[in-house]
Amino acid sequence: MRDEELVALSQQGDRHCFEILVRRYMEKAYHIAFNFTRDTETAKDLSQDAFLRAYANLKQFDGRSSFYTWFYRIVVNLCLDHARRRRRVAWESLDYTSDEPAEQRQLADSTYAPDQQAIAGEAKRRVDKTLETMPKKQRTAFLLRNHQGLSIADVAKVMKTTEGTVRVYLHRAVAALRQSLVEFV
Amino acid sequence: MKKSAPLETACRQYEEDLVLHYYGENSDAERRRVEEHLATCDCCRRFLEDLHGLLPQMADAKEMPQTFWDSYYRETVAKLAEQEERKYWWRSLFKPMRTWMVPAFGTAAVAVLIVGLVFGKGNLRLFVEPRPERIPQEILADEKQLEFFESMDMLEALGKLENQDDQTEALNSDSKHAALPGGVA
Repeated sequence: MRDEELVALSQQGDRHCFEILVRRYMEKAYHIAFNFTRDTETAKDLSQDAFLRAYANLKQFDGRSSFYTWFYRIVVNLCLDHARRRRRVAWESLDYTSDEPAEQRQLADSTYAPDQQAIAGEAKRRVDKTLETMPKKQRTAFLLRNHQGLSIADVAKVMKTTEGTVRVYLHRAVAALRQSLVEFV
Repeated sequence: MKKSAPLETACRQYEEDLVLHYYGENSDAERRRVEEHLATCDCCRRFLEDLHGLLPQMADAKEMPQTFWDSYYRETVAKLAEQEERKYWWRSLFKPMRTWMVPAFGTAAVAVLIVGLVFGKGNLRLFVEPRPERIPQEILADEKQLEFFESMDMLEALGKLENQDDQTEALNSDSKHAALPGGVA
């Protein structure tokens, strides 16, 4: 069943149909929240809150945009609100949580030499720091396009801006990341 | 993250186009223009290769086990149910009625009807039969007069009967005298 049909039935009070949408988008919702917060529990809570808000406000969804862009906007807004409340986003490391096994933390292949891993770790920290200090619109555009794979048109819908503006945000984000690595080593 | 060396710098006028080219977001004309430039510019080609090496790694998501998603889904569904319960809290007031109060009210109503019919039988006439209309005083007076005249008619009839009786007796006595021998003529 297509999103539009599920949304229409959910708007009529069929919660079961909305639960199908939950199953369909829960992984994406979680990953967006995780990209913003870098914390498993917070990402889980925020993404679940996004589903609750979406369901509560489903009658306001007029179908002019697709459900997922509308829903992504809710997730992103919740993540930005959370970051605002916390004053800073927990972008300490791309290495995820400390209790994670070392082999899972390894983003590169296992043939990496220890010094290369250390260098890569430092590079990642720089990238994290750059993303942390990046203007939130640039970061949002970058995360939605690079991490979530949304098209620039969809990112523009989520962010309620023009595609041209998203292109500029994206370029600036990549330029900032590049700059952080240019200074590296 | 495989790369630890700084990213290559690209030609400034192509930098934004190269980012869009990497994401496949530029138009056909832009793509052709970039590809023509890449054929002649090593720096931009290396810059693009660096993007290909760096950006996907930044988007690496932590794979969560299936049990996490099952738990996530169950929790979200439970939260949705809880939210709906809170929204329609007043329904809970009527919830106990559904099981036992409806038949109880029905039984009570039938009992009241039976008691009313049994004990209120005498009074029922009051409701069923209409009360006699009040007769105006003038008519009542005429009614009394009517009774008076009726009684007078009756007396008159009695008088007539008595006269008839007298005449009958007189005839009988005459016939007796005529029948006796040497009777008085």
